[in-house]
Amino acid sequence: MNLERLPNEEKLCLCRKYYLAGFALLPFLWLVNVVWFFREAFVKPAYTEQSQIKTYVKRSGMGLLFWVAVLTTWITIFQHFRAEWGAMGDYLSFTIPLGIP
Amino acid sequence: MNASDSDEDVYNERTALVPSETPAVPSYRPDDLSMPDDLPTQRAKPGLSRRGGPAAVDGSGGGGGSDQEVDADDEELTLKYGAKHVIMLFIPVTLCMAVVVATIKSVSFYTEKTDQQLIYTPFTENTASVGRRLLNSVLNTIIMISVIVVMTIFLVVLYKYRCYKFIHGWLILSSLMLLFWFSFMYLGEVFKTYNVAVDYPTVGVIIWNFGAVGMICIHWKGPLPLQQAYLILISALMALVFIKYLPEWSAWVILGAISVYDLVAVLSPKGPLRMLVETAQERNEPIFPALIYSSAMMWTVGMASPMEAQRSEHQSDEEAEQSGGGVEPERRQFPEDELEEDRGVKLGLGDFIFYSVLVGKAAATGGDWNTTLACFVAILIGLCLTLLLLAIFKKALPALPISITFGLVFYFSTDFLVQPFMDNLAAHQFYI
Repeated sequence: MNLERLPNEEKLCLCRKYYLAGFALLPFLWLVNVVWFFREAFVKPAYTEQSQIKTYVKRSGMGLLFWVAVLTTWITIFQHFRAEWGAMGDYLSFTIPLGIP
Repeated sequence: MNASDSDEDVYNERTALVPSETPAVPSYRPDDLSMPDDLPTQRAKPGLSRRGGPAAVDGSGGGGGSDQEVDADDEELTLKYGAKHVIMLFIPVTLCMAVVVATIKSVSFYTEKTDQQLIYTPFTENTASVGRRLLNSVLNTIIMISVIVVMTIFLVVLYKYRCYKFIHGWLILSSLMLLFWFSFMYLGEVFKTYNVAVDYPTVGVIIWNFGAVGMICIHWKGPLPLQQAYLILISALMALVFIKYLPEWSAWVILGAISVYDLVAVLSPKGPLRMLVETAQERNEPIFPALIYSSAMMWTVGMASPMEAQRSEHQSDEEAEQSGGGVEPERRQFPEDELEEDRGVKLGLGDFIFYSVLVGKAAATGGDWNTTLACFVAILIGLCLTLLLLAIFKKALPALPISITFGLVFYFSTDFLVQPFMDNLAAHQFYI
């Protein structure tokens, strides 16, 4: 899929769909949106739909940052306190490392 | 855990090089004008053809240039085109094999002996005598290949009778399973290998993101590099499953048998894959996504020179032949724009999978890195030769036979001849 070949309305439509779909707990999709449409939104010379694409890219970026913050916090907490939580920690764990924590 | 079977039926359709998309200009073979005119599609799996490159030259050459000029440019384009394609395919094949080999060498899960086998290979290899083991592996191969043949014929029949929904559903199910279930297993094994604690919510988010974006990229629209990456990853996952669950000798015999099957299915007139190709051509339809790796490239450098030369040449005559000169550049403009995109080579995913199975098994059971590297080089050489043949024949070609043959030859000879030789030399400190 090459963005160059698409007319601008379709680019906008695609960007919007990616943005909306990212709300289904899909920060990766927001990351793809930001990276893929970055040049379209910020580097290319202006065209009519560009301002809207810009907003979508910016919002995807913010959503992505939010998710990164949440995930980092949770992972840090989990890694730190897993051993102390005892049974609850094991229940939450997908893989439990061998050895003494 | 028994590997589920609904994914395996699909891979057989992927075993071939697939033609690049043809632009909407007449083919360069004048007697063939009827066929590829508006073929935006790839001729399904079994084959790689490159009607695109010369077509542009023909589009312009047909207008006015001399025949020799056209032929010379055509040859040049063919060579540049072919060489670029070889490189475009080396990278994904190498990446896929690298992922498989890296996993095999680090995650022991995929090399652990297991008594579980796929239902397609019911005969066990834990027998006392060599003869019995050989017999069992041959029987396993026969069963596996028959399953593949039946599935391929089934797919062709479905395609012929236009049961597209069924096919799409099948493909979606199969990629769903690859993207979610197998990658979940893989992630679990990697974490266990590195002794890392991971919690369910994090894993859930990771797998959900990986799988959902994968489905979107492969089956809908997404950036091309990401789609290529996903296809490489799912081929690698599939290859790992094969490496784990196929018994030792059966795997090698199956590799040999499937390259023979590929050869027959693609080249013989009644072969199922060939029929699939022809049906897709008749209907001018693109073949299913998720079965083909496409390496579309921007074709600007190679094309520009011959085109520019001709254009400037005509512009100098513009005064004299206004009408002729006016038409030419536009016609050349059109094919050049068309050619700037989607001038890619397409390789079936089954080829990726079997190449990786060969190299992975070499890494798992072979002596050391010599064997692995030898197989890797062999496969790349085979791929080169296949692409060369493709440039010559310009029709659908199977990608497995040459590479797998070379790979098998190199594996067995390196493992049984070169390896002990090198070890002995090193042991006796004898340098040649």
